[in-house]
Amino acid sequence: MVMDFNNSEISSPPRPRWRKVAYGGMQPGFDDNNTDDSFLEDMVMNASVVKRDLLKVMQDSVSISQYLCIVALVGLVWTYTLQSILDENSLLLLDVSLLGSGFIVLLLTKEMVSLNLLFHYILNISFFTTGLYVLAPIYHTLTKSISSDSIWAVTVSLIILHLFLHDYSGSTIRAPGAIKPPNLTSCVSLNASVVASVFIASRLPSRLLVFAIMLFSLQVFLFAPFVTFCIKKYSFRLYLLFSFGLVVVTLSFVYMLHHLLFALLLALLVFVSVVCPYWLIKIQEYKFEINGPWDEAKLCFDITD
Amino acid sequence: MADHKKHIILMVSDFFYPNFGGVENHIYYLSQCLLKLGHKVVVMTHAYGNRTGVRYMTGGLKVYYVPWRPFLMQNTLPTFYGTLPIIRTILIREKISLVHGHQAFSTLCHEALMHARTMGYKVVFTDHSLYGFADVGSIHMNKVLQFTLADVSQAICVSHTSKENTVLRSGLPPEKVFVIPNAVDTAMFKPGPERPLGNEIVIVVISRLVYRKGADLLVEVIPEVCHLYPNVRFVVGGDGPKRVRLEEMREKHSLQDRVEMLGAVPHARVQSVLISGHIFLNSSLTEAFCIAILEAASCGLLTVSTRVGGVPEVLPDDMIVLAEPDPGDMVLAIRKAISLLPKIDPQVMHERMKKLYTWHDVAKRTEIVYNRALKCPNQNLLERLSRYLSCGAWAGKLFCLVMIIDVLLLRLVQLWQPEEDIEEVPEFTVSNNHQD
Repeated sequence: MVMDFNNSEISSPPRPRWRKVAYGGMQPGFDDNNTDDSFLEDMVMNASVVKRDLLKVMQDSVSISQYLCIVALVGLVWTYTLQSILDENSLLLLDVSLLGSGFIVLLLTKEMVSLNLLFHYILNISFFTTGLYVLAPIYHTLTKSISSDSIWAVTVSLIILHLFLHDYSGSTIRAPGAIKPPNLTSCVSLNASVVASVFIASRLPSRLLVFAIMLFSLQVFLFAPFVTFCIKKYSFRLYLLFSFGLVVVTLSFVYMLHHLLFALLLALLVFVSVVCPYWLIKIQEYKFEINGPWDEAKLCFDITD
Repeated sequence: MADHKKHIILMVSDFFYPNFGGVENHIYYLSQCLLKLGHKVVVMTHAYGNRTGVRYMTGGLKVYYVPWRPFLMQNTLPTFYGTLPIIRTILIREKISLVHGHQAFSTLCHEALMHARTMGYKVVFTDHSLYGFADVGSIHMNKVLQFTLADVSQAICVSHTSKENTVLRSGLPPEKVFVIPNAVDTAMFKPGPERPLGNEIVIVVISRLVYRKGADLLVEVIPEVCHLYPNVRFVVGGDGPKRVRLEEMREKHSLQDRVEMLGAVPHARVQSVLISGHIFLNSSLTEAFCIAILEAASCGLLTVSTRVGGVPEVLPDDMIVLAEPDPGDMVLAIRKAISLLPKIDPQVMHERMKKLYTWHDVAKRTEIVYNRALKCPNQNLLERLSRYLSCGAWAGKLFCLVMIIDVLLLRLVQLWQPEEDIEEVPEFTVSNNHQD
């Protein structure tokens, strides 16, 4: 392109074309508010919008409903223990069987299981259990001066906080295959659940019960996401089957406990796995993204500070 | 073109001298040239340090440093209505005919434009920056801009890209948005008497060393170029959080003798730094216009820049080498610039820049916009409210509420301090012999 811009005085018979440039003063024959066809021609709309389909979103929502059921089961065990329906022995049996089944799932789903790693896990868990046993008397008397109602209220709000902030896509403790380390919100979520378990445990009459229920809650909150993550990685079909089984078991147990709670849980599960995905697909059509030359350029390399 | 009425213009922005940057420069030079065209210009900004009250600058430019303290990045605290009494007093006292606000970040500018509209003045707004649409900060800023621009008489942008951006952000009809670029004081940015001699090629970088200015790109590009060309030296002027990274890079590649870090360069010294080099490197990630490129070109430097925002519109293709914001492409562009270098004559480039950009031209074009703004029909409150209402389901109602309260407050202030009680400034002209 020839760059003769100082011909504003020499008006050549063919009207010069308007150019999208800022230099050279006012372009002869055009006002500064001139808008031609090239206006907004570099604008790109909805460039990075992902098309979602209903089935995929519903499958993704399974991990949420599954985790809801796990938490509901923990709540059930808490209630039964507080009502003295479950005693120390059955609780300890439950702990051991959960631990055993968790290990079996890990062994079956991991490709590389070395004796060394297994030994490492067992050592850690024995440390953990011993520590918990030593601390049980402290938890036992922790909330003696607080009324049961306040404890329940705080526990329920903590569990709701836990559910809101939980990282449903990965596992709370870093699995070997996880992409990124856990972020702040999932740590807050984990801590909320631990505090809730401590509060509940402190209402129990005997130290052994406190120990058993703490062990149970921590096992579930710490390791259940990890175990389900492993199952999911191993086979998605198995994961779906497992989740479905879990949902059925939970619903039947809750039905035995209380009918209204059953209705609530059922409604919640339907909402999470049917209504929400449909809703998400529905509001996708309102998605409107604008990109253009005014966007800040993205660096194509990582900055390591 | 019989519009030779003299206007009395109030420029409002949070950004003015002694602070330094593109907006400050723009307001100052535009005001000076408007004064030369015979208009009266008053600038309003917030207090800087202990600089409060009224000051006069060169050519009788009157500046009000309103006693509001900045609270974040030189911005005043948004109070919506806190500035109403003082703005009203200034508008009446100076017999203002038109209010011109600058920069979308400036809260003072938004408040002044709102009050001026409530009082029935015509307002013009200049947008100096680009904004995306994706993050929370931009969404908020865009709503604020939409509120201000819903009722603005005319708007000005500094480049065509900026105009597209502003039209999208504010929903203003494109005919109402003018493109008037910045300019450069070519008398101040002259090339050196002779080019630095020798085999050495000096690449100059002058920018704040922050993420948005692409300091991280520099960290990748500089060692690469130094490796390719043993006769290239870098001079980096500017300070900022990313300076540490640049210094780390310098040490890692042992380039201490080839990369000179000057720290912050005061504007008065920019020219002397520029003329020590051959190539100017701009690595911004976003830029509405980039005055730095103009200053460099005016000093006769060949510019290498990232192709972002309004930068491609700034200079003719033979005065600038553009590259994608990617280290590999930028190194290629620098290679191209080095090969072009023997053909560049700084004096010729300077002469060309003199024809391409003058502040006088900017002032004349702005004058046209002022005339248009003053011709806009007056609107009553109901018509204006209906415009605000169309800004959004929730935002529209909120905007209307804000405006109605503003009108009520104005009535209250009018009762408290009637217009007759405000003293008007006496007419006087400043003699044109510059002594200070």
